Amino acid sequence: MVDHYVSNARAAARARRREAVEVASFVRRLDWLLLGSVAAVVGYGLWAIAGITHHDVAGDQGYYLTRQAVYIFIGVVCLVLAVLVDPELYRTRWRWIFGATSFLIAIVLLTGPIRGSKRWLDLGFFRFQPSEFGKVLFVLALAGFLAERSRRLHDIRTTLTTLGLASVPVFLVFLQPDFGSALVYCAAVFAVLFVAGTPWTHIAALAAGVAALAVLVLGVLPAAGLPILKQYQQQRLTSFLNPDQDPGGTTYNITQSKNAIGAGELRGRGVDNATQTTLNFLPEHHTDFVFASLAEERGFFGASILLMLYLLVVWRGLRIVTIARDPFSAIVAGGLVFALLFQIFVNIGMTMGIAPITGIPLPFVSVGGSSMIANLIAVGILLSIHVRARGQRR
Amino acid sequence: MGKRVLSRRFLPPDPRVEEPYRFTPKLALRVGLLGMLALAVFAALFLRLWSLQVLNGQQLLRAAQNNQRRDIRVQAPRGPILDQNGQVLVTNVPGTAVQIWISDLPKRRSVRLREIRKLARLLHVPAAQIGAAVRKHRTDPLTPVKVKDGATQAQVFYLKERAEDFPGVQIAPTYLRFYPRKELAAHVLGYVSEISPGQLKTLHDQGYRGGDAIGQTGIESYYDKYLRGTAGLSQLRVDSLGRPISLVLPKVPAHPGNAVRLTLDVKLQKAAEEALRYGIDRARNSACYGCWNANGGAIVAIDPHDGAVRALASFPTYRPSLFSGRVRQRALDVAGLTPRTAEAANFPALDRAIDGAYPPGSTFKPVTAIAAMQEHILQPYESLACTGSYTNNGQVFKNWDPFVNEAMTLPTALAKSCDTYFYQVGYRFYGMPFDRGPRLQAWASRFGFGQKTGLDLGSEQSGLLPTPDWRKKTYTKKTDPGHWEIDSLWKPGDSIQLAIGQKDLLATPMQMARFYAMVANGGKLVTPHLLQDVEQPSSNGRPGRAVPSTPPPAPEPTNVDAQALAVVRDGLYQATHRSFGTSASIFGSFPMSISGKTGTAEKSIDPGDGIPRLFNQSWWCGYGPSDSPDLVVCALIENGGHGGDAAAPAALKVFESFFGKQATLTGPIHSD
Repeated sequence: MVDHYVSNARAAARARRREAVEVASFVRRLDWLLLGSVAAVVGYGLWAIAGITHHDVAGDQGYYLTRQAVYIFIGVVCLVLAVLVDPELYRTRWRWIFGATSFLIAIVLLTGPIRGSKRWLDLGFFRFQPSEFGKVLFVLALAGFLAERSRRLHDIRTTLTTLGLASVPVFLVFLQPDFGSALVYCAAVFAVLFVAGTPWTHIAALAAGVAALAVLVLGVLPAAGLPILKQYQQQRLTSFLNPDQDPGGTTYNITQSKNAIGAGELRGRGVDNATQTTLNFLPEHHTDFVFASLAEERGFFGASILLMLYLLVVWRGLRIVTIARDPFSAIVAGGLVFALLFQIFVNIGMTMGIAPITGIPLPFVSVGGSSMIANLIAVGILLSIHVRARGQRR
Repeated sequence: MGKRVLSRRFLPPDPRVEEPYRFTPKLALRVGLLGMLALAVFAALFLRLWSLQVLNGQQLLRAAQNNQRRDIRVQAPRGPILDQNGQVLVTNVPGTAVQIWISDLPKRRSVRLREIRKLARLLHVPAAQIGAAVRKHRTDPLTPVKVKDGATQAQVFYLKERAEDFPGVQIAPTYLRFYPRKELAAHVLGYVSEISPGQLKTLHDQGYRGGDAIGQTGIESYYDKYLRGTAGLSQLRVDSLGRPISLVLPKVPAHPGNAVRLTLDVKLQKAAEEALRYGIDRARNSACYGCWNANGGAIVAIDPHDGAVRALASFPTYRPSLFSGRVRQRALDVAGLTPRTAEAANFPALDRAIDGAYPPGSTFKPVTAIAAMQEHILQPYESLACTGSYTNNGQVFKNWDPFVNEAMTLPTALAKSCDTYFYQVGYRFYGMPFDRGPRLQAWASRFGFGQKTGLDLGSEQSGLLPTPDWRKKTYTKKTDPGHWEIDSLWKPGDSIQLAIGQKDLLATPMQMARFYAMVANGGKLVTPHLLQDVEQPSSNGRPGRAVPSTPPPAPEPTNVDAQALAVVRDGLYQATHRSFGTSASIFGSFPMSISGKTGTAEKSIDPGDGIPRLFNQSWWCGYGPSDSPDLVVCALIENGGHGGDAAAPAALKVFESFFGKQATLTGPIHSD
């Protein structure tokens, strides 16, 4: 008995020791450079927001700052949970995830519009924007499908089915209307197909199809009296090509944004002198045009730091694609990283007048709970893939 | 490991055994491509950021700084308009205007409408009117829209206290046009209102900006360049909602407009307007045929030496002050100043002295007389029969006085205004060789008929001087399908009736006055003008001075034979002094010697019952003193009966004022 007890106690101690070793090894296997660079972007973004929104709410300088800090805290908790979940779970349950994504986006359409579009679910304490979370879930679902078909990638039906599946959430988001998110979804579809190994011929056909569609939607159909896009959407998409056409109207934002960025010059105008931001000439300067405000207040140096941190995050993300343990993980990592890159480019490019105007927030910086939490979850999934990657010592 | 290598090398893969996932070169290529794409994206973002912040930084910084600087145009006070003696006709009073900056209105439609409704209630201006003004200026968001010109102190305080509730609403000092003499000389002065989008388009190059006041008619319009002054500039720092965050800083001071001194004489102008009303009343109260419909007219008084206009009256008239300050549509409607109501009020905005063309009737006979003598088809002292009617090729032309039957010379024919005498002269013109063109019309044209007088007042009619060519051009197969073959020909009747100023001939009172000035001054055709000089007021330490302005054209010689003129002047003298003269009973007893000619012109008019019929237009044109004339007066009373019924007595009133002498009307009036 005693023996037995002793041996039991030893076994327990062994188990405890093994557990400790396992936890230590788990922590060691995290991609600390990715985690560190994301933490730097988030922290830098929070500091930037503090300056940008300093004058926004009279009598409460920290109004947006505290809000954003709370979002970050929730996001970090979600990130930790995401790291602990084995991606295998997502792979096996991708049908559920796909259904849940479509469902969440669809019920938004049933609620009342806020600011002219139906993007948010009002939970009372928090306005929940399913399309932001959908960006992550969507990638997981499509990756699950493609991993299942990984041996039949050369079959055109695989590619077509992927596009068919993808079109459901894309269409729902487009209806909200949230054209920017719809574009991000499309970029993610391209990325998962690309990383999964879809033949070049399919990709070329897809590119040709997209080009034809763009010509149709932007040029031919409106001319034929069948506008698909709302007029403001079309103007935003095309106005960056000729910015001087209407400085009072469609291109007002973009003109003010460029003025703000340029006014920052090398060193920035500081928090109190950034008149484009403080006097509200730059609209949405804590959300969509946050980069312009950052550039105005912190100058070329300040904006460059953010860009370089982003580059670091993207580099670490792409590296995870190369070491993923299975096709699913690789496809997920590729989709998430490319979606992130796309959002960064479209948002920053928009503020500088080299990309169309779409309502895409700047990842990790724009004030907004859904975007921040969803992006931190995405980082969590990347870390989770990294932890379970090939060649990691166990 | 080794086993797998072997199997790969030597055996086909076992399909039942799932191959472990490996990082294939194929995937490596794709990840590499994604990485290069990422690098390209970041390179593009960096380059663009560099270009904006470093290369174009200064320029964009300036744009950002200009963003919050708002230029405010400081309107200059408009110059006054004076009469020849410096009496003020129009000047300014200060007012407070409420303006809207369209770019600063709330963007949301419902919020914007609520603000406009609130503003409308406060200022007692219809919300629809503000909305319409805002819509009208939507394409020009950086020019303030005037909502109300004369805001009260209480309204101003309310708006200033609640500036937060009224984004985009501003208070600005303005000047309102003030007319101390009410409607006196309204047609000469004209009115001022905010520049219209159409005007702005053409005048933008001349320095006009949206929101500017601009003369719309009359002197205000014609000499706007002198009157308007130079607007100044102030700057204000605003936030993106247009809320001022600094005081208004004056940058460029406004220079007040120059004073325009007219040749008008307030006293004579007043007398002319009263005389016009007197003439109309006289016609309406008399039993003359059709005179119940006397409802308008004009009196022109000019200096025969240089054409300076001393009085210019037109009836009905209006108050230019209706256009000053807040313009109320209903008030304009009532006054007949809108297209909808103008006809019912007999077109009060129409300046009949220069913009109304009428058949001149017998007042035209001196033209025929001079032309006939010049062309040597009439000897001044040859006797022609004056009968009750004149028949030519079976067509009967009546004399105004059917009971006359005597032979008379030209002066007598003018004095008695014998129609049949001039019918014969007209027929002589018809018989002249065709190759030199119509001679009567050539002389009439030399005397200014059928062309604008060039008065510096704008909107002017040139009348109509009918010629054979005009007939041919006007009556074509297309315009007159039934009778064009006959109507396009110049017939004896055309020449015969032209001789007494009837049928197609049309002239304005100013044209007639100009011709009589030519008779009065011995053959020089003057250009009537209103501008005496332009004076710059002393301001900001600058002394006042006269501004150079273009002088009116000098009188042009018409090369009329002095003998011929003397005969006509004799005839005009007899008309007012001999017992048989058509206006002798009116002017005969006046202490100053006046010469002049009555006229009764038939014009087809619809008096409002839908049946157009011929009404007599009462004319009198003449000058005094007869031997060295100082004033030419031409009076016209619409539907006023014979010349002696209304126009001549009205003209006499003007002479009474001019010479400061009273007359007594004696004897019955026997005139055409």
